[in-house]
Amino acid sequence: MSVLKARSLPSREKRLDTLSAFYGEASELIRLYSGEEIDQRIRTFSQSAPDDLYSVLDTLIGVRDAGIIVHGPRGCAATLISETLNKRFGFSNRWLVTNLNQRETILGADSKLRAAITSFNRLHHPKILFVVSSPSVAINNDDIASVIDELSEELGLVIAPIFSSGFSSKSGVHGYDLATYSLAKHLFFAAKEKIANQVNLISVGENYHDVIEANRLLDSLGLSTVTFPDIASFEQIQNSVSSSASAPLNFDRAHFLGRYLEDSYGIPYLSLPRPIGWQATKRWLVGVAAAFGKEAAAKDLHAKESLIRSELLQNPPFAGKSVYVSLDPATAFGILPLIQELGGNVAGLSVSHVDRLHVEALKEFQDKSHALTIHVGDTQSFEEINILQRIKPDLYIGNAENITQAARLGIPSLYLPGIPILGYNGIGSFAKAAANALRNTSYLDQIQLSDPVYSKSWIGRSPNWHIKQEVR
Amino acid sequence: MSTSNYVEQSRNSCALHGALATFGAIENVAPVLHATGGCGIQYQQGVAGFGGCHTAASSLGAPLSSTNIIEKHVVFGGGSRLREQLKNTVKVVNADLYPVVTSCATEMVGDDIAAMAKEGLDQGFPVLYSNTPGFSGPFHRGYQLALRALIEQIPQIYKVENEKRARSVNILGIIPQQDIFWQGHLFQLVELFREFGIEANALFGIGQDVDSWRKAPGAALNISFSYWGRDAAAELSALYGSPWLDFSFAPIGAQAVTELIDAVSEHIDLDADRISETRNREELLLRSYLSRIAPFYYSKNFQREFAIVGELALVTGVTQFLTKTLGLIPAVAVVTDPLPPDESEQNASRLRKIVSEFDGQIVFEDDFENIASLLKQKSPQLVIGSSYEKFAAAELGIPFLPIAFPLSDRLVLSRGYIGYQGAIELVEDLGSAILGNQ
Repeated sequence: MSVLKARSLPSREKRLDTLSAFYGEASELIRLYSGEEIDQRIRTFSQSAPDDLYSVLDTLIGVRDAGIIVHGPRGCAATLISETLNKRFGFSNRWLVTNLNQRETILGADSKLRAAITSFNRLHHPKILFVVSSPSVAINNDDIASVIDELSEELGLVIAPIFSSGFSSKSGVHGYDLATYSLAKHLFFAAKEKIANQVNLISVGENYHDVIEANRLLDSLGLSTVTFPDIASFEQIQNSVSSSASAPLNFDRAHFLGRYLEDSYGIPYLSLPRPIGWQATKRWLVGVAAAFGKEAAAKDLHAKESLIRSELLQNPPFAGKSVYVSLDPATAFGILPLIQELGGNVAGLSVSHVDRLHVEALKEFQDKSHALTIHVGDTQSFEEINILQRIKPDLYIGNAENITQAARLGIPSLYLPGIPILGYNGIGSFAKAAANALRNTSYLDQIQLSDPVYSKSWIGRSPNWHIKQEVR
Repeated sequence: MSTSNYVEQSRNSCALHGALATFGAIENVAPVLHATGGCGIQYQQGVAGFGGCHTAASSLGAPLSSTNIIEKHVVFGGGSRLREQLKNTVKVVNADLYPVVTSCATEMVGDDIAAMAKEGLDQGFPVLYSNTPGFSGPFHRGYQLALRALIEQIPQIYKVENEKRARSVNILGIIPQQDIFWQGHLFQLVELFREFGIEANALFGIGQDVDSWRKAPGAALNISFSYWGRDAAAELSALYGSPWLDFSFAPIGAQAVTELIDAVSEHIDLDADRISETRNREELLLRSYLSRIAPFYYSKNFQREFAIVGELALVTGVTQFLTKTLGLIPAVAVVTDPLPPDESEQNASRLRKIVSEFDGQIVFEDDFENIASLLKQKSPQLVIGSSYEKFAAAELGIPFLPIAFPLSDRLVLSRGYIGYQGAIELVEDLGSAILGNQ
């Protein structure tokens, strides 16, 4: 993978033509991606959206035995406060912020970083230490690499720098690539002998229950699984080079590591959909099994697991309901068929970004719901509220701050990150949460706004009013 | 504690986040961030959810208007992007005030936000600005910067009411979200002052909007309830000729309320009969409740050695009440707000006096690891602190009462510990923590 030889990873826009702003039909996106190069879109009004630094931290909290040093002012690590308290995977990585002040952002803070790494190592002995850069450090060009080179040797510690800046991409998903790029560059060593029936499950920033469900299914097929970077220890990550294939849980976030292991260690990367709902879970399961000659067992397992949940097909919870979906694209394109299987109609779709990884999904979407407009925007609530007021769906499924905004319009709403969604168990938990949201809507009456946040003139405008083609 | 050391698992976020919490606590105020996209998201994910269930009051959790700058703005400057964002924010988002706040990246690039804000103002939009890069200091610094911008710039936008109102005060120093009880504390102070015949302007929280700020110059007295409100109280005083009072701790229970009212009466002429009547009535009620807990107090051993971790003003107020009224023993008090090192000792003199009487210790520290080690080393019988301290309390197997930021295991809406009523709520919470740990 030649990209690893470069000092830094080019932005996701440059590698995959990622778009973070768009409003139009799927056919238009498919047409755009059939060309060589895409003109970027920008917003002339925008709302706070995850950036690369945020997604880097979201990835690192899952790596067991790791330490995290955020080289920047205090606020650059604020999201980690949540992890210390909530422990997504039942453990919490130690972290430290170098707490840069004005003088240090001007004159540099190499020595402070050096002291922080040394002290952190002395106190906690992490197996891996990630040093994450922030906007200030990206601008003042602190020489993180030299400090790390020097201390890695001196302390005998694996220290991996991650050069996030907050401004290197318009799309937060770039941060997942930056984090996995750093893993690839610093944590894999010599190739090992292949272990039969061992599969890599590439899981980046997932719900813990979803990770357990995927492991349960692979275990049922007699496969031993190396799940990483989520919940993996340093040794397990290194052990992944012995696997015979790699499967993603979310191809958007996993593709970089998957492709890297394929190119560098000859481990086939299975390009599979996110295992959501009966159809996609079957495709995912059979796809993984096929790499190990276990297709028949996978089909049997699918038949058995489907049978357990067949009552959902008899009494579909979404019967006759229109559903608006606002999620990351891998989850969104995965959940649309499930909503239809459960009796619902897809009323509209917002995805945080799209790029060349989604062309197939876009084509499937077009085949099934060709008249629908796709909105691309990450936490751009003002555009979604505009759209929702036009189409008035019966249910909104989202993953961000927007969730309360939709509910305040009186639309029953489902916050998806809190609900296990993957595999067969995911079908049950998703259907139950959706049914509850639709069964009792009394709270919605309490939280509707008397004074709308957004102006009447904005709601009257086309939702894509502030999306413009970027002038090169 | 040095304010520029590296910090393990810092509980204090940056100045930008403090400014966002402050502006967001005024109704119908929509901050405009000139920042990378994640600055606002980290605020919402890492701060707003842990400040006692109070997301930005004005926009009820709507994502913040933000320029989301990218590389070209860092290289070529982001002034024109801010101009565009500001021009469109006033069209998209309904608000009475649009404070422009800056981040590290946009300050390092040197974008002239004062000029951009002035352009907005010249076009008749209610825009003000505050330079709030994260590197300029902690969350608390952001509160100070936002207050300064409000005090200095609102008169350029709205007509303020200068005329003095007798027996009226402005409440300053209670930082939205950093004080997890900020809404309850403001309500309790307003109610407490009302009982004594004083009209108090809370300036933040439910029912507080630009109008509250227009009226601020007319107060007869400005009171700061923490170190962090002093500059604002002094500035209001200097601008409008009203005195200011440095109270600097949370008045919890009868003794502290008496101190507060005595201090206020040095500046404002109060109704002596009403004061005495209110005090008698409220003190009687409080004593009645304190008397009722006696069976629990003795059978469940309320009289414990406690460790307390949090912001100086609340730690002082709670420690004074628990020690001087409830008979508990302070083992160690950890002050987590990053006070300037050369001033911290002087600011903590009241706390020092109380704690020293019982051979307790005061530590200025906001490092997660150092605080956890200290708690384990001191081995108290009760821990009062932020949700960060629940882990050490669990290891020690002792009762734990969360009262400070960050808060993850408790929902706080209107609750607070100030005044007579607040003292009763503190006793309820403390007692519940002890009974729940049996």
